[in-house]
Amino acid sequence: MWAVTGMFQKNSPDAFSSYHPVILFLYFCVVLFFTMFFLHPVLLAISFCSVFLYSVQLNGRKAIRFNIFCMLPVTVIVSLINPLFSHAGVTILFYLNENPVTLESIAFGIVSGGAFITVIIAFSCFNKILTSDKLMYLFGRLIPVLSLMFSMTLRFVPRYKAQIKKIANAQLCIGMDASHGNLLQRVKNGIQILSILITWALENAIETADSMKARGFGLKGRTSFSVFSWKRRDKTLLATEAALLFALLLGLGLGKFESVYFPAIRIAWPEGKSAAFYLAYALFCLLPIIVNRRENIVWNKLKSPD
Amino acid sequence: MQRKFDKRLILSSVLILIAIPLTIAFGVVFLHDRKYYFISIAILIYTMLPFLLVFEQRGPRAREIILVCSLSAIAVIGRAAFFMLPHFKPVAAIVIISAVCLGPESGFLVGALSGFVSNFFYGQGPWTPWQMFSFGIIGFWAGVLHRKGILKLRKLDLCVFGGLSTFLIYGGLMNFDSVLMFSSTINKDLLLAAYLSGIPFDLVHAASTVLFLFFIEEPMIEKITRIRVKYGLINESELLKDS
Amino acid sequence: MEQIKITGLSFSYPNTNGTGLSDMNLSVQKGDFILLFGRSGCGKSTFLKQLKPVIAPFGKRKGSIEFCGRDITSLSHREQSTAIGFVSQNPDNQIVTDKVWHELAFGLESLGCDSKTIRLRVAEMASFFGIQDWFYKPVTELSGGQRQILNLASVMVMQPQVLLLDEPTSQLDPIATANFVQMLRKINEELDVTILISEHHLEEVLPVCSRVLFMDGGRLVLDTKPREIGREMNRINSDMAAALPDCVKIFTAFCSGESPVNVKEAKQWLEATVRPQAEPETKPEQKQPLPDGAPAVTLSDVWFRYDKKERDIVKGVSLQIRQGTVYSIVGGNGVGKSTLLSLIGGVYAPYRGKVKLFGQDLFKIKPEERYRDLFGYLPQEPQNLFRRKTVRLDLEELAARISPDRESAEAQIKNVSEFFHLEPLLARHPFDLSGGEQQCAAMAKVMLTNPRILLLDEPTKGIDSVFKQKLSQWLKALKAQGKTIVLVSHDLDFCADCSDVCALMFNGEIIAENTVRQFFTGNRFYTTPLNRIVRDIFPNCLTYEEVIPLCRENLIRG
Repeated sequence: MWAVTGMFQKNSPDAFSSYHPVILFLYFCVVLFFTMFFLHPVLLAISFCSVFLYSVQLNGRKAIRFNIFCMLPVTVIVSLINPLFSHAGVTILFYLNENPVTLESIAFGIVSGGAFITVIIAFSCFNKILTSDKLMYLFGRLIPVLSLMFSMTLRFVPRYKAQIKKIANAQLCIGMDASHGNLLQRVKNGIQILSILITWALENAIETADSMKARGFGLKGRTSFSVFSWKRRDKTLLATEAALLFALLLGLGLGKFESVYFPAIRIAWPEGKSAAFYLAYALFCLLPIIVNRRENIVWNKLKSPD
Repeated sequence: MQRKFDKRLILSSVLILIAIPLTIAFGVVFLHDRKYYFISIAILIYTMLPFLLVFEQRGPRAREIILVCSLSAIAVIGRAAFFMLPHFKPVAAIVIISAVCLGPESGFLVGALSGFVSNFFYGQGPWTPWQMFSFGIIGFWAGVLHRKGILKLRKLDLCVFGGLSTFLIYGGLMNFDSVLMFSSTINKDLLLAAYLSGIPFDLVHAASTVLFLFFIEEPMIEKITRIRVKYGLINESELLKDS
Repeated sequence: MEQIKITGLSFSYPNTNGTGLSDMNLSVQKGDFILLFGRSGCGKSTFLKQLKPVIAPFGKRKGSIEFCGRDITSLSHREQSTAIGFVSQNPDNQIVTDKVWHELAFGLESLGCDSKTIRLRVAEMASFFGIQDWFYKPVTELSGGQRQILNLASVMVMQPQVLLLDEPTSQLDPIATANFVQMLRKINEELDVTILISEHHLEEVLPVCSRVLFMDGGRLVLDTKPREIGREMNRINSDMAAALPDCVKIFTAFCSGESPVNVKEAKQWLEATVRPQAEPETKPEQKQPLPDGAPAVTLSDVWFRYDKKERDIVKGVSLQIRQGTVYSIVGGNGVGKSTLLSLIGGVYAPYRGKVKLFGQDLFKIKPEERYRDLFGYLPQEPQNLFRRKTVRLDLEELAARISPDRESAEAQIKNVSEFFHLEPLLARHPFDLSGGEQQCAAMAKVMLTNPRILLLDEPTKGIDSVFKQKLSQWLKALKAQGKTIVLVSHDLDFCADCSDVCALMFNGEIIAENTVRQFFTGNRFYTTPLNRIVRDIFPNCLTYEEVIPLCRENLIRG
């Protein structure tokens, strides 16, 4: 049947992101959960390295520069804030303005700074691979109307953006200019242009509503279509994710990832058999990299004759 | 109609009676120092759910939905248009106007949707649910207070409400978020420091909301009302009662 | 098989604005391709919407519409959605979602189809329309023509039996229009879908339709075959006969049989009927001297691109536009015409080259002087000019800014509203006006600034032939007042009718520039449809008015 199968194949930034959205979403949920809420130094180091590597794969060298120049100072500040304001903890190192500075709060500051940068990098990957239509698919089944509204808003935004430019130009040419004058004047002109946009947007929306109604919107039992479907490779990867996640939850239940900073630091380090749980986490975090690497190897093999 | 309303009531009860306690228990048992952060985000999302489901339950009307989407997109564009002035954004003003025109539930949706969608252009992050909730709840309260007759369609009322709600609700919640993000516990000093350091930004934001409301409140309400009459969403008699 | 039967249909709007319908009777057979025309505001849209009750305007309706033997109002929303498709004028306003694939699936989602069915039907339609290449694109990346095809496709996925189209090509350029109409023909012929389409410009649709209806004042005046419409319009002596394509008009001026409907047929008929002109006075290829006069606009080696990294949009354009002339820039879509116009208007600045107005560098003129007494710029979408809730308030706001005192402001407004026949529209909301009326109000607003140079971007987009004639007369009147007019248009008939000099733009460059007659008679393809019909016989003719007396003189009697 025609070229249909190809039609449903979407361009993706890398091999991992071409997998089913559920797999991608689950990946980020787990990584973000273990990063944001655990603050375990080893877990943190693993997730940081993984998402950093992945962000470089996705965004190229630009990502490295951004991470170093923008994120590093923020991380340092975040690490400093905590010991300055939180005086909890039992190991007092010194006094600053008669306030105790504790080892625990310094340690906590450092890990929370690390967690912060990891979360930011992870979200930079998230923004790149979980595009709006994938998110819409994920929530479309549960909340079809809201996910449609989300899609409609996404449709309107670039349209309004282009229109605002046209309006500004049109107004410029009858001398109702927005680009000159002092700040207040410019803000006032900006508001005026926004106001013209509002009229335009609302008046034109009537036809959109009619077009929705003409195509049966409002009937009972609306479904949510998506271009994504479960292939065998998706199922295999999901099973892998599930198995690793099971191991992680087991480790969590057994207290293998315990990390308490206050009042005294108590961290469960990976020793002996418990190292397996950390290995599971590392595998999980590195999934995108592993998947991409494997894809590369396959293609290199295909390209080069034996 | 009654039955549909019940569905949402059931959902809310399930969330409050079962999901929230479970989340708190999970946080306390497993998460130690980060429990507040986890629990607060989870509760935030639970609270939004019943609001977000407004249109799922009743038969969706194209014209109602499209108004909400248009207004959300306008709010997003407004935020982009004044990008050069940090913290100077018309989102709250547009949300408040939408809420007094379309009711508390639509108001919440305009707020939450514009918070969510604008982050597709500025980047999603842990702050997304907080922003969605803050703008949403501002819209919700504007709608409720207007319906109760406390918030009148007067410039003064709207500006006062806009300034206060932006400063207290948005500023309050967002500063709270940053405290939770970086700290293990909520202590007085840290909160105080966060709120004090946040004041200038929140003041700019509040001032911008007041400014926007001052200038666009009247024409925008007029425009939305005109459209609703043109759409047949309300009839003229309702209009007279309103004013 | 009779599919739609309309008996005694009348309709009136609750407020007396807008024409209703009175006593319409019509029988539509399955597989009909019906073209509906009439001046704007004659009730075409109102009528089409009556055939799809979910989007019908509120008002009082009498008479009956039967769809396949059932009263149409008894059709459920679901039945209406699947059986009757509707495509309207503005391609952008009809698109609901942000991605092409989602837009295609939208209707089927509403019907509650499962993913498998949707997948198949969407794939079928995408292949039928040849849109699989842009399947994943965001809709913002599509051109206007592509968007309208998408709207058509997303209605067709629901497999309707009847397709209603309300001026679907009025916002499209000629190439996109031709494409769109070919799609309709394919749908009609290969899928046996009944089509009712309303149109202002009949050239494209007339050759492919099977019936033509003419409406006037809410009544159905004519119901005839495409080859007989010319004769019938003559019989009822309607001024809308001017809207007919040239191939029909030229035929009906002399004969009353079945008229040709395309250029080829008209040409064959004409060559059999009329002797070729003995010898043309001037060779069409010859370069005529451009009109004299002081230059109003001078461009010297102007280059422009929107961003440093992007490609050049305008490449080294040099031209001179004389005072008191009408200068038209024609060319395909996206060749930089509109950009060139906004460069002349000072909206953008060229990165190389100079724009001079009356010998003065454009950017040395202060912005506040530039747009007062010097420039008027009518953008492509006149809606972008309106700021207030009535036309009068809108004009007053601008007049107050420009005029020194109240009286002169009032006088100015009175002036322009008389000139553009605006009085009946002054109290209305600008967005409640029709396309043509909006254009009037926008022109009035621009003229209020008393410009010496008037820039018009696609002034004939989406307006009917009656209004087009009016516009052409206004431009001529303004020219007589000494104004310089620069316009950009796809509408070659219009350019030929009202301009002095024409320029063809291609890929950011001016390829040809000549006085209007030399310009059009020198082009084989890029010329008026009329010139294409008569070029072998009367090579110098551009307009219908010129051809008729010549034909009369050279008629082969027999």
